[in-house]
Amino acid sequence: MELYSPPDLGGALRFIEHEDKHVTVIASGTDLIPRIRKRQVAPSILLDISSFKEDLRYIRQSGGVTRLGALTTVADLQESPVLDGRLSIVREAAELFGAPQIRNVATVGGNICSASSSEDLIPVFMVLGAQLKLLSAKGARTVPLTDFLVGKRETSMSPSEILAEISFEPPAGHSWTAYEKMGRRNMLIIALVNEALSLTMEDDLLTIHSARLALNRVTGKIPAMAVRTSEFLNGRKATDETIAEAQKVLAAELALTGDFRASASYRTELAQAYLKRLIQRCHRKIEGSS
Amino acid sequence: MTMRVISLNVNGTDHSVQVGPLDRLIDVLRDQLGFKSVKEGCSTGDCGICAVMVDGKLVNSCLMLASQCDGRRVLTLEGLVNDLSMKRLQGSFIANNAAQCGFCTPAMLMASWDLARHKADPSEDEIKVAISGILCRCTGYYQIIDSVREGCKRGTT
Ligand SMILES: Cc1cc2nc3c(=O)[nH]c(=O)nc-3n(C[C@H](O)[C@H](O)[C@H](O)COP(=O)(O)OP(=O)(O)OC[C@H]3O[C@@H](n4cnc5c(N)ncnc54)[C@H](O)[C@@H]3O)c2cc1C
Repeated sequence: MELYSPPDLGGALRFIEHEDKHVTVIASGTDLIPRIRKRQVAPSILLDISSFKEDLRYIRQSGGVTRLGALTTVADLQESPVLDGRLSIVREAAELFGAPQIRNVATVGGNICSASSSEDLIPVFMVLGAQLKLLSAKGARTVPLTDFLVGKRETSMSPSEILAEISFEPPAGHSWTAYEKMGRRNMLIIALVNEALSLTMEDDLLTIHSARLALNRVTGKIPAMAVRTSEFLNGRKATDETIAEAQKVLAAELALTGDFRASASYRTELAQAYLKRLIQRCHRKIEGSS
Repeated sequence: MTMRVISLNVNGTDHSVQVGPLDRLIDVLRDQLGFKSVKEGCSTGDCGICAVMVDGKLVNSCLMLASQCDGRRVLTLEGLVNDLSMKRLQGSFIANNAAQCGFCTPAMLMASWDLARHKADPSEDEIKVAISGILCRCTGYYQIIDSVREGCKRGTT
């Protein structure tokens, strides 16, 4: 195995353009290094992008859009004053992520590109309607995060591309966002269920205008939007009856599998309980701030 | 496999070391430079026993390639033996029986020292968060939590 550390981002893009398929990008390596050592992957060339902090580590806001460079760390998210209000969901997720030593290095880009159900930030960015900017030597393209994940550890990124930026906007109108994660202990844990909601109410503050719900698993082993449950909620009153019905819709929509961490039925019940909590948390916050 | 030479400042001293592509920071610190306070536990980031400071941030040295540390500043427990805040923490760990087998102690001390830099009077929750990435298999943690609370207080021994 070889490790290539180009001096700048342009050099990195030219390198992958030229080498094509054999190259594996390494950011902070918290996901990749253990996988290489356990022989789950055997890259022939590693391309180290971790030093491009000037180009890829930033949290910027302009025109209502928040942009995170791919090398932004989870600790950066936790400490960022701009991720507040309707975006505080990002900080909430960052606080429940790994442990300090992991948060200090783990990157946002690495989380998304790892493309698995243990990646906590993906459902959060999904409900915010995140867009990803992919760079190659030929130029840039933007894809919605929901189209980016194609399967477990599979993305729609081509071998000559690097994820450069994640951008999103807070939901407009009477809206709020919230996040819940359950593991087998509080810290340093892979989520059994990880659920994010963005809720927007009509002017009456009682009718749901639109809901966006995402979980770490819906039918496959990757994070996804719970489209049917989200659609079910649209236009309904945020009452206990609606929530109870939505919980049934969610149970029918989910096709979870059990493993050594938890059974499928336990995960489903958790997801239902979280749905209720998330709707109530968002609704209360919207009522309180309007 | 191509070897390369990297420069690393450890505890204030510059070193040039030759590393392979998959050598990790922990390998260089322990095997090449002899900083044995850095322990290897799980090698997957879960036990935190290899924690050191890199450019002022607590990190697991088993999850970092040595090449990625080229030109950076590393601090291990050996570099803090004369540090006042570290001495207070060490004294408090001894007084409260916070070390049994001692394997996690260097990492616990590094994480506590990092906390003490920011908080003179941390709450129990803040202490728990600060040491949450480090596994202790002996104590049940409360002796450690008490030690950290006491050791963070400035102006005591
Ligand atoms: C002890 C421990 C605890 C953890 N806890 C959590 C947790 O609570 N929640 C959670 O979500 N995750 C957790 N993780 C997983 C991991 O830390 C995160 O997914 C992290 O965000 C990955 O970022 P990285 O920079 O380390 O990625 P890397 O390991 O460097 O890369 C991960 C993958 O993404 C690719 N990649 C990275 N950056 C880019 C880019 N810019 N462009 C293209 N491809 C790229 C790499 O090729 C690789 O396949 C934990 C890991 C450990 C070891």
